[in-house]
Amino acid sequence: MTALVKLLFLAASLSPAATLLVWDGALAWPLFGDVTLLFDLAPLSAFFLLLVALGAPLAAIPMLRDDAEWPTYALYALLLVGMQVLLLAGDFIGLFVGWEIMTWSSYLLLLRSPRTTLATAQSYILLNLLSAFALLGGILVYYSLTGGFAIQAVADLGPWQGLALIGPLALAFLIKVGTVPLHLWVPCSYDEAPDTFSAVLSALLSKMGIYGLILLLTLLPGGLAGGLSGGLGGLYGHLLDGPAAGYVLGWIGVITSIVATFKAIAQEDMKRLLAYSSIAQVGYITTAIGVGSSLAIGGALFHALVHTLIKLLLFTTIAGIVLRTGLRSFKDLGRLIYRMPISFFGVLIGIIGLAGMPPLPGFASKYLIFVSLIDARWLLLLAAMILSSTAAFLYCYRLIYAPFLGHANSPQARTATEAPWQYLVPEVVLMGLLVALGLFPGLGVRLFVDPVLTALGLTPLGSPSWGELATPYGGYDGVVVMAVFGGAFVVVTSLFFLLRGRMRQAASPYDLSYAGEVPDETTPLHYGAGMGRELRRIPLVAWILGHSTQGLYAGLVRQTQAAAGLLAGLYSGRPQVWILLAVLVFAAALTVQLLAGGI
Amino acid sequence: MHYLLDIPAMIATSYVLGFLFYGFYRQYNARIQRRWGPSIFQNLYDNLKFLFKSETLSHGPMFFFGPMIIVSGAVTTVLFIPFLKDSIWLQGFSQHGNLILIIYLFVLGPLGNALAVGSSGNPFGVMGVTRGLTRLMGLEVPFFLGLALVMLQYETVSVHAIMAAQSSIGEWTLVTNPIAFLVILLPFIASMNAAPFDVVGAPQEVYAGPRVEFGGRFLGVLMTQNMMLSVGKLVLLVDLFLGGATNLFILIAKAFALFLLITSISAVFPRLKTEQAVDFFWKVPLGLGVVGVVATVWLQ
Repeated sequence: MTALVKLLFLAASLSPAATLLVWDGALAWPLFGDVTLLFDLAPLSAFFLLLVALGAPLAAIPMLRDDAEWPTYALYALLLVGMQVLLLAGDFIGLFVGWEIMTWSSYLLLLRSPRTTLATAQSYILLNLLSAFALLGGILVYYSLTGGFAIQAVADLGPWQGLALIGPLALAFLIKVGTVPLHLWVPCSYDEAPDTFSAVLSALLSKMGIYGLILLLTLLPGGLAGGLSGGLGGLYGHLLDGPAAGYVLGWIGVITSIVATFKAIAQEDMKRLLAYSSIAQVGYITTAIGVGSSLAIGGALFHALVHTLIKLLLFTTIAGIVLRTGLRSFKDLGRLIYRMPISFFGVLIGIIGLAGMPPLPGFASKYLIFVSLIDARWLLLLAAMILSSTAAFLYCYRLIYAPFLGHANSPQARTATEAPWQYLVPEVVLMGLLVALGLFPGLGVRLFVDPVLTALGLTPLGSPSWGELATPYGGYDGVVVMAVFGGAFVVVTSLFFLLRGRMRQAASPYDLSYAGEVPDETTPLHYGAGMGRELRRIPLVAWILGHSTQGLYAGLVRQTQAAAGLLAGLYSGRPQVWILLAVLVFAAALTVQLLAGGI
Repeated sequence: MHYLLDIPAMIATSYVLGFLFYGFYRQYNARIQRRWGPSIFQNLYDNLKFLFKSETLSHGPMFFFGPMIIVSGAVTTVLFIPFLKDSIWLQGFSQHGNLILIIYLFVLGPLGNALAVGSSGNPFGVMGVTRGLTRLMGLEVPFFLGLALVMLQYETVSVHAIMAAQSSIGEWTLVTNPIAFLVILLPFIASMNAAPFDVVGAPQEVYAGPRVEFGGRFLGVLMTQNMMLSVGKLVLLVDLFLGGATNLFILIAKAFALFLLITSISAVFPRLKTEQAVDFFWKVPLGLGVVGVVATVWLQ
């Protein structure tokens, strides 16, 4: 029975892939009046459906390990249905239905975790409901502008009408991608969700917000194809060589990634660190969408693909560590490299991708985004992005050092065994995909990115060969980089062995140069807990870490109360004061009108 | 066949120039401090001594692979930097790379080595790595901003194209875009691991630095990569700002001039703490960079 349920579940997890492969032609379903539900697979939605199709089964396999989890399985299947409806929808009604199914099924899945607190559940559902209501408001504005629900570019749009349309929709999607300060629900829910489900939250659900943001740009007259004269640029003018409104979105994205990166460095919990890192990475994508050029959208799509793979890999690996040790804090782990070698490689590949180091594909996507920023001449934005991108090295190093290197800090870390095969299979597949995509960024662009760009009316990036990522500013060849590095590694290692002399292994982990002392097991030798603490001595970082979003909202409350107190001061309890005020206001209004020549 | 000659030639050039430059550096510093100083070949002797040590202590496989990764990273970086202009020699694989890739390759090796440091289990080593990464976070922002000004000026990220655009002294980026050079100069000193930003690997700080656990041949390997990478960085700056070089002698002359400028600056300033250095980078060079962006990009 259990086996049958699991088999069914696995089949359900393959449903996005099946949809992607067999879907052809559009489906129209008359609903009421002249409203018709449209379902179609445009290249843009096909790209995001591909992410779901890749991620859904890989995230499902680790879930198979738990026994008698049929409610989880059912909710997960429902979540996949929701995402497919959302992506296939050719009109806003279908999109909204899919959005709601996705929100509620993921909320119920979040509640399946025993660790979920009331505050987390509340912040998750309330912010996501706010997102849904904003979406609904935007859809109504859209209906009043066009008289229909079908998703297509609005023919004629003034700046204020544009704001009325963009405002609520952007709010809805920015909540979903977790932009600061709307990210309140992200760290706690990614952290407290069931360990195997966090991967889905970070890798797939946040991408639906990205899909929405790109979709939003296509609604504007001229869409993305208009360049500076259409879309955001046409509505609100341009700044340097990019749309002025996109510049604002770009800064929103970059500030999100800077704040989230420093918060990530300060975390004590592995999953919470990954949650903040997700916010930061999706911030880069938001910035790229703000630029809106062919290079930038290409980079955004590529980064969405890479981030999906990386976060699936990292969350699954970390779930494996939590499963085997029962611990999730950096200070409790250590030296797992010998106990969980495959997991070590999983995290290693993951952080190389997160840090955007060549030759893995994280570099390719960041390269496209950097070049697009230079192309738009938005150099300050580029510098800010470099800040968060380089600061990410710190949390990446912490993510690999604290669990895997150094010294084991707990009995569980000393006796842990490698994660079960249900975790290792997706990890190995994802590592393979990441390495392949790093070797062949040109192929990735050709297969996944260029069809979308062509459909959006943008210039496709093109690639002369599988390995070469080409831009008008110059490119690089992933195969050559990997081959040169690999060749150098082989030659250097062989030469090292040819040198005379012998290697001696350290007698024990305590055989260290320790400032003249001889450490033993009582000496605190693991640096995992304290790493990053010294960053607080840098004024900017101290300022960021010293403020929290909750603090921001508390400050807003204080300011509101102070303003209300000022107003309350006017109510003195004596009627003659009110009458005096009324007379004064009346007199002032009369004077103004007189001066303006109204009477 | 061409590659078989070209690759060893590039590696040999960067190695030989590296130990000669650092030998000179020790002499120069000594003379400033009114000492005799060691011979100019002292760095070569030191390096060879380390490389031929009879015994080397290892802390496990990851510890062993770290130094291998860092040298491979240095070799890869050097091979992606074109040494000469208008020549088929000393080009390596630079046709397949670009400036942004090179900037990232610079940190590839040190990050690999950071794994080895962590694997050794010495908390002071990890402290050094954290310091290094913090400094990197500080210096990369103005450094990249300055380079972005150059990339924007020539509208390309290809080092070859940037080099080719500077055919006479009047067209050197140093002359046409001096503000970009000023922006990157101090972060560049830090990326060369020179005073006053050398708290990460300074001799007096070894016990709190990334190299604390490395001895014998490992130390030799780390020293080798440091010299090669430094030459690579100097050559890159010559390519970008001093118009490149058409033959090896011009290259040495220009790289040496740049090295002399950097050593002279670093000889007279006391060492900064990591957080002071980061704060400095985010105020002075970055502030200058913002001024540069406003002046050369916004107001045009």
